[in-house]
Amino acid sequence: MQNSEELKWALLIASLAMLAMAFCMIAFVMYYQKRRFEEEKKISDIEKNYNRLLLDTALNSEETERRRIAQDLHDDIGTMLSLTKLSLNQLSKLVANSGNEKEESIMKKSQSLVEETILHVRRITRDLVPTTLERFGLMEAIEEFIHKLEEDNNLVIAFQSNTEEFPRQGQKLELTLYRIMQELVNNAIKHASCSKIDIVLEIDEEMIGLRVTDNGVGFDPEKIKESNLAGLGLLGIESRLAIVNGTVQYEQPAKGGSSAIARIPVNPVSGNKPEPLHPFRREKVNI
Amino acid sequence: MFDTYSAYIVNNPISSIAVFITVLPLTLTIARRAFLDKSLRLLFCYLAVKLIIDLAMLHYASNRTNNIILYNLSIPLFYALLGGMFYFKFAEKPRRQFLIISIIGLFFFCAWDIVNSNEDLQNMREHRVVLYSKMVEGVLMILVILLYFYEIIKSLQIPNLLTFPFFWVCSGLLLYYSSLIFIAPVIHYAYTWNNTMDLGITEFIPSIFEIICALFFSVGIYHYSPKDYAKQ
Ligand SMILES: Nc1ncnc2c1ncn2[C@@H]1O[C@H](COP(=O)(O)OP(=O)(O)OP(=O)(O)O)[C@@H](O)[C@H]1O
Ligand SMILES: [Mg+2]
Repeated sequence: MQNSEELKWALLIASLAMLAMAFCMIAFVMYYQKRRFEEEKKISDIEKNYNRLLLDTALNSEETERRRIAQDLHDDIGTMLSLTKLSLNQLSKLVANSGNEKEESIMKKSQSLVEETILHVRRITRDLVPTTLERFGLMEAIEEFIHKLEEDNNLVIAFQSNTEEFPRQGQKLELTLYRIMQELVNNAIKHASCSKIDIVLEIDEEMIGLRVTDNGVGFDPEKIKESNLAGLGLLGIESRLAIVNGTVQYEQPAKGGSSAIARIPVNPVSGNKPEPLHPFRREKVNI
Repeated sequence: MFDTYSAYIVNNPISSIAVFITVLPLTLTIARRAFLDKSLRLLFCYLAVKLIIDLAMLHYASNRTNNIILYNLSIPLFYALLGGMFYFKFAEKPRRQFLIISIIGLFFFCAWDIVNSNEDLQNMREHRVVLYSKMVEGVLMILVILLYFYEIIKSLQIPNLLTFPFFWVCSGLLLYYSSLIFIAPVIHYAYTWNNTMDLGITEFIPSIFEIICALFFSVGIYHYSPKDYAKQ
């Protein structure tokens, strides 16, 4: 019987040990899984941040590049054109003295061409860098943009805002909204064949909403995305928004056309005014 | 008739609870529609078969008839049903093959074990519990579960294990078979008519863990939702 008693204890202990091991195993799996998940999450967070940084840098360098081109245009071509105009003016006096009709008319033509070129260069530089946006804010910039479009297009663009005085936002945010508005309006003009575009800018305590509606043919963004028809425009809107935690939503209103709403959390400029991003600030190095 | 059952149940409360607790995960499976999941459907089959066999064994036991043949035959059947659950869970083919081979292997091993453990197969009254099969079943089952755990950890597809039904099922099975693995061979010697060996509390450990296992199943099935299944 002694043997049996010992066996009983041995069995009991062995079973309990086995059970303890099983418990440990289960606990280990749970613990390890949880830790791996946390690590994984951390890594993906880092990756996300990194991607966002990359994007930010890419967009920033795009802006910088625009600025550089604008500056070069203004400083080099602009200056030269002014000098050309000056020379032409002198030349025209000489030509006027000589009294040759034909020469005079060629002179006039050259002068007006140079003047026109100057205007064009100025327009291009201003298009490249939204100076109005930086100086006067979003509302003025949008109004100016609309004004320019209405001049040489045959369509009605309406702009509404829920405030008289749109509070200035962070530089990046304003630029983001402006570029998105630009792309949406350009898309409407390019693809929608519409006769009317509505731009609505709304702001409350937390969010800024930008809605661009056209009365054109309309489109299905899902289909566009799938069929890789998407140009840089719609993708660009999304990546710009990703940097400022914004979202974009496309709708197809019942009465036709399409409507896009971008939402971005507000980010008012803090106390000290940011130095104006003037395009011609960079010091001239070459020449 | 009814008296014999109630007398048996009163005398063996723990093993009786272990029989009737199976109803809980069974009803939960139906209530939560857990049979939509292939693995849980097999678990449902296992629970149903187990309930039937257990009730039959209870019937014979309370009539003092030898029911051990049922116990012996249930070993490969249970392993086939429980191991089969993992067939749908394993991603890699070698593991599935191992599973199939082990199910077939255990079947033959069990047949050999029954012949080996009984001198006279015709004599049902003196039929004895198999010596190794239950232990081998336990070892195989634990191995399969550990393999599955390894896969869970490696694949990292389940965000929260505590709400993952199959993790509870595995944990329950792991505990049950761990409690059984050393006791199973001894039962061969203990469960005879002229029983000379009293295992004491040790005898109840498997029954207790059978109950715990059924409770784990219930928790797991409770966490099942057909919506998750649709997502997979
Ligand atoms: N307002 C709209 N109405 C109708 N279709 C549109 C509208 N906006 C976009 N689309 C469709 O979505 C497509 C993708 O637009 P997206 O701005 O991404 O590219 P894009 O304008 O063709 O090129 P990019 O903007 O790069 O110059 C367009 O080709 C057009 O078919
Ligand atoms: Mg576009």
